[in-house]
Amino acid sequence: MANIYFELTREFNRDEPIALLASGQAVVFYRIAMMSKDGDWVIGESPEACDRVRAVLAARGARHRPSPPLDVRWLAGGWSSHFEFTDDRARRVRCDFFSRPPRVALARIQEMFGAGVSRDGLLVVDPETLVRMKQTQRAKDYPAIGEIARLLPGDVELRYTTDPDRILVLASSVTAAIDRPSVQAAREAAGRERVVVELAREIDSMQQRDRARVERYLAASARYLEEFRRARVDEMPLSEAHQRACGLAERWLPTAPSGLEERHADAQ
Amino acid sequence: MQMLSEDDLNLRSMSDEELEAAWDLWFDLAQETNAFDPAYSHGVLVGWTPGPPRPTRVPARRSASASSASCETDLSRRRSPEG
Repeated sequence: MANIYFELTREFNRDEPIALLASGQAVVFYRIAMMSKDGDWVIGESPEACDRVRAVLAARGARHRPSPPLDVRWLAGGWSSHFEFTDDRARRVRCDFFSRPPRVALARIQEMFGAGVSRDGLLVVDPETLVRMKQTQRAKDYPAIGEIARLLPGDVELRYTTDPDRILVLASSVTAAIDRPSVQAAREAAGRERVVVELAREIDSMQQRDRARVERYLAASARYLEEFRRARVDEMPLSEAHQRACGLAERWLPTAPSGLEERHADAQ
Repeated sequence: MQMLSEDDLNLRSMSDEELEAAWDLWFDLAQETNAFDPAYSHGVLVGWTPGPPRPTRVPARRSASASSASCETDLSRRRSPEG
């Protein structure tokens, strides 16, 4: 049997590249770990891409989970849209979409889509983008970052790795300027313990930044999600659910949370 | 420092077909923990918790048997993971 999320990626991209497999399933694709039972995609920011994804999901009987509509007006504001269906073996399949992954420049996303479909439609975010997306508030993402970073050239790996031993090795062999306290400590021969402490601080800082960003979105979506559940949009056929979700979003959901309107156009 | 287990790192020696088959088996087993999963593990709704379960919709005409009413409740639960 195929990986259902790889299969969906091929189906989304059947006619043109519109969806890049990301997050946990990209970690599986790069043979790092079996990390996730959900699927996440960076979707092209166009009405046609949204229509195609909704059509594929509707054909599988998907329901719209409580979340913003899969519509460019909200996607461009950094929102994510979520769906779920049960496959023919009674397994829960969850599908998550966003067009502006945090910490990734819009130009980089456009480059990845511009590269076209590879491997029969199985289009996957590149390892550096995957690392940046993984810099979340979740502790379990940081060991994965250390392994994904090993797929990158040494100078790029040193910018991202969460492995103190790799920092100690690369800090002396890579001459490029790297703005990381842990790398600085290694280059000053401050000792392994100091490198480990600086690395822990860097990770905590990234987690706090991500947590603060997500809290803005949660606060801005509270009323919309309440209305979504009250209207039982998640029980409607997908086409009806989309129309209803758009109507609720137009009334209750800002296209971008207050204070993030400008930043959403580029890396956050 | 090795940051992941041998089982994870062994994925690198698999063919594409073997990787997909291994993931498919893992996905089967992972279904057992569905009820314990958070509503969202990705995106900007991470941390959102749904409110209390909503009452099951009562059909307008209750001519259905008790067994079919039970089926509807099950279906509603299946379609509404937050419920």
